[in-house]
Amino acid sequence: MNSASPIRFARSLLAGTLAGASLLISTHALAAEPIKLGILEDQSGNFAIAVIPKIYAYQLAVDEINAKGGVLGRQLKIIHYDTQSDNTRFQEFARRQIQQDKVDVIFGAFSSASREAIRPIMDRAKQLYFYNNQYEGGVCDSNVFVTGAVPEQQFSTLIPWMMEKYGKKVYTIAADYNFGQISAEWVRNIVKEQGGTMVGEEFIPLSVSQFSQTIQNIQKAKPDVLVTLLVGANQASFYEQQASANLNFPMASSVNVGQAYEHKRFKAPALKDMYVTANYVEEVVSPASDDFKKRFRAKFPKVEYINQEAANAYDAIYLYKAGVEKAGSIDQAKVKAALGSGGICTDGPSGKVCIDPKSHHTSHRIYLIHVKADHSVDIPKVWDDIQPYWLGTVGCDLSKKADQSQYTPSNLPKK
Amino acid sequence: MRWSIAHFLPHAQMTFLVEAYAFFYQLADSFAFLVLCGLGLAIIFGMMGVINLAHGEFIMCGAYVTVLSARAGLPLPFAMLCGTLAAGLVGLILEFLIIRRLYHRLFDSIVATWALSLIATQGMLIVAGPSIEGLKTPFGSFELGEYSFSVYRALLPLIALLLLGALYWLFVRTRFGIYSRATIQDADMARALGANTRRIYSQTFTLGAALAGLTGALYAPTITAVPTMGQAFIVQSFVTVVVSGADVMLGLAPSAAVLAFIQSLLAKSYGQLIGQIGLLMTVIIVVRVLPKGISGWVLQRNGGR
Amino acid sequence: MPRWLSLVDGPQTLGRGPAFWFVLGVIVLVAALLPTFVNAFAITNLTYFLVWVFMALGLSLIWGYAGILSFGQTAFFGLAGYTYGVISINLGDAGLWTWFALLLSLVLPAMLAILVGYFMFYGGVRDVFVGIVTLSITLVFETFMAQTAGPEWTIGSARLNGFNGMSNMPPLTFPWGENPIIFDGTSLFWLVLALVVLVYVGLRILVNSRFGNVLVAIRENPERAEMLGYNVRLYQLFVFVIGSVLAGLSGVLYTLWGSYITPSSMGLTAAALPIIWVAAGGRKDITATLFATVLLTWLSQQLAVKGSQYALIWMGVILLVVVLFAPEGLFVTVWKKLRDGRRMRQRATAPKTVSLPSA
Repeated sequence: MNSASPIRFARSLLAGTLAGASLLISTHALAAEPIKLGILEDQSGNFAIAVIPKIYAYQLAVDEINAKGGVLGRQLKIIHYDTQSDNTRFQEFARRQIQQDKVDVIFGAFSSASREAIRPIMDRAKQLYFYNNQYEGGVCDSNVFVTGAVPEQQFSTLIPWMMEKYGKKVYTIAADYNFGQISAEWVRNIVKEQGGTMVGEEFIPLSVSQFSQTIQNIQKAKPDVLVTLLVGANQASFYEQQASANLNFPMASSVNVGQAYEHKRFKAPALKDMYVTANYVEEVVSPASDDFKKRFRAKFPKVEYINQEAANAYDAIYLYKAGVEKAGSIDQAKVKAALGSGGICTDGPSGKVCIDPKSHHTSHRIYLIHVKADHSVDIPKVWDDIQPYWLGTVGCDLSKKADQSQYTPSNLPKK
Repeated sequence: MRWSIAHFLPHAQMTFLVEAYAFFYQLADSFAFLVLCGLGLAIIFGMMGVINLAHGEFIMCGAYVTVLSARAGLPLPFAMLCGTLAAGLVGLILEFLIIRRLYHRLFDSIVATWALSLIATQGMLIVAGPSIEGLKTPFGSFELGEYSFSVYRALLPLIALLLLGALYWLFVRTRFGIYSRATIQDADMARALGANTRRIYSQTFTLGAALAGLTGALYAPTITAVPTMGQAFIVQSFVTVVVSGADVMLGLAPSAAVLAFIQSLLAKSYGQLIGQIGLLMTVIIVVRVLPKGISGWVLQRNGGR
Repeated sequence: MPRWLSLVDGPQTLGRGPAFWFVLGVIVLVAALLPTFVNAFAITNLTYFLVWVFMALGLSLIWGYAGILSFGQTAFFGLAGYTYGVISINLGDAGLWTWFALLLSLVLPAMLAILVGYFMFYGGVRDVFVGIVTLSITLVFETFMAQTAGPEWTIGSARLNGFNGMSNMPPLTFPWGENPIIFDGTSLFWLVLALVVLVYVGLRILVNSRFGNVLVAIRENPERAEMLGYNVRLYQLFVFVIGSVLAGLSGVLYTLWGSYITPSSMGLTAAALPIIWVAAGGRKDITATLFATVLLTWLSQQLAVKGSQYALIWMGVILLVVVLFAPEGLFVTVWKKLRDGRRMRQRATAPKTVSLPSA
């Protein structure tokens, strides 16, 4: 606590008392009114498979908090619209939630494209927004908080470990859009740093579902490690096709298993020797995780798999709660300041998660998930408390300077 | 130095042969995909003129039923048969309820089939959940040089050719085929000659739907079954059928062969992006050069029919 | 009334006479006054529905009137959107530069349409082949733009930004002394509304003119029209260019509305939507297309808001009902039913006619 704090506290107390006295009746009415949480997630369309558990997770967290008396004595209320995996829907509904429903905070978006579709709208309205998804990293935005894992958390752990275990020749196949290209850039840089070589790099349009040519290319290059950054239902077909062609290379990924639980959906051994870094999967065994799963399944017995993004969504609600309680208000500017002031943490299903004031991203415990031949999973390694450090080191510091950009290793902030 | 040449040549030849086979395998794989994508649509759209935007959902239906019945314990070939029949049955019902009212206004079939595709995709999501556990591709793999290939996928082109042959026989040699083609060409005349045109339309549509289901069934063990999987097929289907032109029995195989060759060559040399774009550009150029599709061109060269 | 203006009513459009124009005038007036009654969101949202009208009207002209089914109008939509983005980000919002960007965003689709149209109509491409060529073009654009994520895909200072889409382009700005007029919110709504009225009236005049009659003649029988001495290809090319510029106009306005444009606006689903609106409303009439577009975009949004996971199913069911029970399209069918009903009543009330058993 710094020295100015008591004075500020006294001042806000005074202001609060005055405001409270003059608006006694209406304050009373306000206190009864719930806090409105806008949620924009895909209940239908392409991404529904990975997003439905997320929607459940928001509901779970909100119900738990409400059962314990809410936040600042007020109940939480979810306003959810189905964005149908459609970027235009995201824009329509973001505006609806901001302008018509006047929500206090927005949570949502699965794909980076949908996040980028609504980020300009959030920024224009200075709307507090949580993006709760693993992604390609680099969003440095004063209005945005990110609870998903980013490349420095997933690749700086995964790639060196794989190279040490299997060898230094790496082949990357990646979805041919922002996420895949930027992630591939991260892999390339880390492989180089670690003294390895890229024996191939291939980008695949999202509409491709047939992989014979790619499989041949990989066989010709004979890598030690195959990094697969494939996205969506079409591209997921790669795994069955590589297994039936007996490709048999150890694979590494930041997206699979943790999002769309391919190891549950595909017949073994399509994902044999797949290694994934995730901040949560259902197979994590710990008192916190087991308890979380029990509560989750009790409330939503239909859920097929409790994925990484469900944990992120769950944590996001609790982080928002912590921010509001620290700010003592749901005023968005104050909540943003509180969330970005440091020390905002929650103990979620995966472990302790804290917001980094510089980048508005969160620290994570990262699990290395290994899919075995029978598609059961073991966790050979856990990295504790990995920080989302990259944005901070390249010059994004939201605690000092407001920003609304997305940076990549080849597109750094101007100094 | 003779020994070194003798030692060297077979190896080089071997490498060359393996490379050639690898390219051929890729080409055949691509060919099979395009033919199978187009099969059902060739009948429903190519012959009957119904612009069937729900083609992908018929494929999805075939795949889902195949996967579910295989997991229920049926041997794979029977599961595939179930998938095919299920899609055919759905086709039969939809033809009776909806499509038959649209034969005289085919443009409206766009709206109807689009609506059906929305209902099918989202309905499957609600009923069966966002995804179901897949199947394993049968038959394993074989090795050649530095490559290994999937046996099942190597067989798919043969199955595609077999199906094309069977369809050709069905439409050219059998009574049903001749009635069907006559009805579609001139329903009034066919009716005057005693054909039950209503039933023939219904049968033809059902056959098309069943073939789409068969495509889904054949690919079910190689891809993941999700409600939106139809989208992976729809563009290739239309492209193959349109390029083949009006007489699909004649045009489908050459159309798929030309498109597969160009796509494989480009994908091998310049990557998947250029392969995809090249496929679409080829379509534009083929349509411009042969405005009636490949079959139209063949028929014209043979002096018309 | 000048002769050209009298063409707003004619054989190629439904609705005529003072009563029709009075109702339409009231609708426009109410719409124009809406910002004083409803909240900002309602206006933004209404603007959004109107943005799509131009592409639909263009398609109605190409498909409904001239009989050419283009499945890829979104290619022009996307091209215009990206053109506006690139130009306006580079030139900024000073002076009249955003208007220059707007103009250029209509010129480029026009040029593409001339190229593609010439390629198709003068190359003997017709019927369903036109659909597949235009669809291929829009999918090529989509596939290409989706992979332009890297910093090497920069035009001037504008990042194309791949699949995630391009954003933060400046709004239309008109210099006005100290306080330039920025077209955003209500002012953007008025601009779009004015454009809808302008384009609608303009198209009515066009389709009721000699040009429109020839188009319909070509639709009904191209060979006969050719025999009668009309340059069929030139007419087809011309109408295709107009329709494509209108698709471009929708593209620019959509980009301005969200200050965002993405490759998926040129994808298969996006390409199919205008066809659905036009067909469901009644493709052979622009009034029907206009109202159907607004109604269907509104409806699909309402369903998504209220119906959660059943939204798409309801949308499908509604479209099926329309296509089965309103064979000429929802609005055209309803219009004709109403008109026939009125005539029937008129006849029934006339003393000489025998009254029909059913009312």
